[in-house]
Amino acid sequence: MGRIRRLVLDTLKPHEPSIIAMAEELSVLEGISAVNISIYEIDRKVENAKITIEGESISYPLVLEVIEEMGGAVHSIDEVVAGKKIIDDAVTLQD
Amino acid sequence: MSWFRDVLRGIREYDNLANIGEIARRYFAMNAFDGVLTIIGVLMGNMVAGVEDPRIVVSTGMATCVAMGISGLWGAYLTEAAERKRDLDQLSRYTLTELNDTRIGRASRVATVTVALVDGLSPFLAALVVLIPFLTVGLFPAISLAYYTSLGMALLTLFGLGLFLGYISRGNLILYGVKTVIAGVVSILISFLVGG
Repeated sequence: MGRIRRLVLDTLKPHEPSIIAMAEELSVLEGISAVNISIYEIDRKVENAKITIEGESISYPLVLEVIEEMGGAVHSIDEVVAGKKIIDDAVTLQD
Repeated sequence: MSWFRDVLRGIREYDNLANIGEIARRYFAMNAFDGVLTIIGVLMGNMVAGVEDPRIVVSTGMATCVAMGISGLWGAYLTEAAERKRDLDQLSRYTLTELNDTRIGRASRVATVTVALVDGLSPFLAALVVLIPFLTVGLFPAISLAYYTSLGMALLTLFGLGLFLGYISRGNLILYGVKTVIAGVVSILISFLVGG
């Protein structure tokens, strides 16, 4: 079974619980070593948050459980890195 | 002690999510105030009607306390549950997810029950405090003294509520206390004049 080392998620969540609480809860999950959450759009009741998670072995179902328990929804999985080390996407001629 | 810290953290989190503290404080002050003024009405009614039997004062007072308690509990539960369901449904429409089984949904249900309990118990307990002299009527040489002590306790309770409101608003405690006591004095005077 391959290990997920980085996940980038586009989520929509209510203002409360705050991204501080969400980052704290995600960061203590097993296999996760760092979490970054940034808000890129704020609405009256909800906000769009980009969640970047890195670790040795990230369990996506557990991550999803925490996000949904806090009232959030994953709109899309924008990036996944799996394997023995973290690599970024390769630059191609089209870039 | 870690479980205690967890419980406190949970309470704080629910309070943040559902704004329980602020609403409960408002209900507490408003309904305790209602409770004391209502029991002043009951006491004055008994007094001007010349009721000398303390059992009658206690039974009418207790019946009023219970009615206020049940009214507060029921009314606040139904109102709060309806309002919070509406808020949760609206938030669900924004997030396009079902929020009932999330922390937000649970905090909302805890808030409904907490606010209903505060709403029911505050008038009940505030009114009960005022009735204490009639529950210990054997200590008084005359029933009229029990009436005066009860009314004094009612004004004292109102003053205490005023202090509480002053503390919340970070305003002048004494001024708030005097304002709430005036409501009690006005109520006593009007009851006295109406009762003849």
